[in-house]
Amino acid sequence: MATVSVYSSPGFDFSNLTRNHFLAEKGLPLPKATSTGTTIVGCVFEDGIILGADTRATEGPIVADKNCEKIHYITESIRCCGAGTAADTEFVTNLISSNMEMHALTHGRKPRVVTAMTMLKQYLFQYQGHVGAALVLGGVDSTGPNLFTIAPHGSTDKLPYVTMGSGSLAAMAVFESNWRANMSRADALQLVKDAISAGIFNDLGSGSNVDACIITANNTEMLRNVEMPNERVQKERTYLFPKGTTAWKKEDIRKLVLTEEVTPLAVEAMDTT
Amino acid sequence: MDHIDMNRLKQGEINLGTSIMAVQFEGGVVIGADSRTTSGSYIANRVTDKLTFLHDRIYCCRSGSAADTQAIADFGHYYLQMQTQTMGTPPTVLTAAATMEKMCYQNKDQLSAGIIVAGWDKKNGAGVYNIPLGGGLFRQPWAIGGSGSTYVYGYCDATYQEGWGKDETVKFVKNTLALAMSRDGSSGGCIRMCVITEDNVERMFIPGDELPTFWEGREVLGEATKKPLAAIAAVSDVAPMAVEV
Amino acid sequence: MSIMEYNGGSVVAMVGKDCVAIASDLRLGNQALGISSNFQKIFPVTDRIFLGLPGLATDVTTLRETFRFRVNMYTIKEEREIEPETFAHLVSSTLYEPTGGFRPFIAATDLIGCLNFAKDFVVAGTASTKLYGTAEGLWEPDLDPEQLFETISQTMLNAVDRDAYSGWGVVVHVIEKDKVTTRTLKGRMD
Repeated sequence: MATVSVYSSPGFDFSNLTRNHFLAEKGLPLPKATSTGTTIVGCVFEDGIILGADTRATEGPIVADKNCEKIHYITESIRCCGAGTAADTEFVTNLISSNMEMHALTHGRKPRVVTAMTMLKQYLFQYQGHVGAALVLGGVDSTGPNLFTIAPHGSTDKLPYVTMGSGSLAAMAVFESNWRANMSRADALQLVKDAISAGIFNDLGSGSNVDACIITANNTEMLRNVEMPNERVQKERTYLFPKGTTAWKKEDIRKLVLTEEVTPLAVEAMDTT
Repeated sequence: MDHIDMNRLKQGEINLGTSIMAVQFEGGVVIGADSRTTSGSYIANRVTDKLTFLHDRIYCCRSGSAADTQAIADFGHYYLQMQTQTMGTPPTVLTAAATMEKMCYQNKDQLSAGIIVAGWDKKNGAGVYNIPLGGGLFRQPWAIGGSGSTYVYGYCDATYQEGWGKDETVKFVKNTLALAMSRDGSSGGCIRMCVITEDNVERMFIPGDELPTFWEGREVLGEATKKPLAAIAAVSDVAPMAVEV
Repeated sequence: MSIMEYNGGSVVAMVGKDCVAIASDLRLGNQALGISSNFQKIFPVTDRIFLGLPGLATDVTTLRETFRFRVNMYTIKEEREIEPETFAHLVSSTLYEPTGGFRPFIAATDLIGCLNFAKDFVVAGTASTKLYGTAEGLWEPDLDPEQLFETISQTMLNAVDRDAYSGWGVVVHVIEKDKVTTRTLKGRMD
């Protein structure tokens, strides 16, 4: 007798892929995923790594989030910038972060940046580019500062300064003209800010603010919104509607705090005999 | 019947549009590669190292998809380490090449990888093995690969001679790659080379502004307006193009 | 015709001072044909968590049951009510599962995330482009519950009037520390 299977295997389900390709060919547009048309960068300086990112998330031509976070946590001294499909960068970095914590616990020592890089490249290679994450991975470990890029198909590059995302060309132009070996912390941070700004102002897919993260041997400093060149000014007047503008047909108020009254009945003395 | 397009790359994939080379000599091999990695028309990395470590005296040169060839090389490296531990002796170049070939052949539908494996071992001495796109294993005295190689087959055929020493072989590799890089738009940057012998592995680096140069053409239009044609013809056997003034 | 447009519908959520509000339209359509004017798209998850699910109606009802099941399992296992941020992650990971398939509710993931992640407002559904415009113009920080109700209501009503696939009435929930106010608004019926 055939039994009904209730087991579903863990991981991704590609069963709708063929159907979707068929529907797309017939002219049915597939829904858009939030993608981070992004500028992300990383650069080595005299005592560590600085990562940088813009904060715009887009859905097609719409700005979905004006101040999102693209520098993801991997471990305390390893961070990862994500470009490409927003959901994929979020989940792939979360997964690797979790695996790195497990790795640290089982081996009793801090995992290296190459460990995270290898985990990420093997994961992305396995999915042959279907997991659309383009990453800049940076950190400091027992071997010193390490900086990598990881492309969606799983290829990696190790360089002293890297850029990724749609604004990578604008940012790379800044790095190629101004990067020097052994830069000071302040100079390197300024360079990263300039590179991200080049993406924000020259690439339509990137915008809003600059995030940066400075990683050294014994400290990690997350500089959220280190530069805000596009802040919204206070509105001259408000559009507050006077109370009662909107008419409603039905109202239901659900109180979450219950009050109850206790009415003591005839008091009887306790029997203490 | 439709044939499979072996040169296809997946959408947006990073490509090692490459010039790679390996040449055997008495006592060792010289391997070399350009340093360009491209994604469409953008140079994603201009100082790439395409000479990848497989074992102590065995390296490979990678061409094709960056992701595919890195994955193959990583697995090859892992396999040879395991083999060394179980056998107790270092692997031969043939073993390494056969392992790589097996991966390339068995997964040919999903890969775009052209690899040259080269190195030295105690049993067979120096060896160069070519593994073209789709698999196959060919031992050759010299091998070239990647998109830039098509421009320099003639040069290699005309230049290569048996019995060279290390220095002549290094010069041959350097010149061949410089010629390939100058003609192929997907190749360029610097030249990286490795000399693998029984004693050691020596890395060499030629910066982009110190590449060997060859005849690169000569200004004929400008000169034609300055001097009479006969004067130019007298100093050179290259006749300038006739220009109406 | 995208599956997001098959049945129509839109949701918006906003943050106020010590309160949040979430609103949706009430239309269920079969492309251009109106079918129902009381189709629920916002579902209570706990007393203080509301989940808005615009999109293909069959997926809306399926996911509603999926989340009801998962939240019940969570409550039994943990012996406590699920928190908004935890629930946002639950929604996010539930919707991420079929990467190879459709992802109709990515915006809804962002939407429920509003309780914690967005500082101003989030939108989803067929009127999302219009909602971005009205919300961007009308929202301001630190609105009290009554002001927030007016702002989100006008944001929604004016946006759905310019969307053929949303409308036929609006429902608004204003969530405060100690009470939840639900109001059904009158909207254009064309």
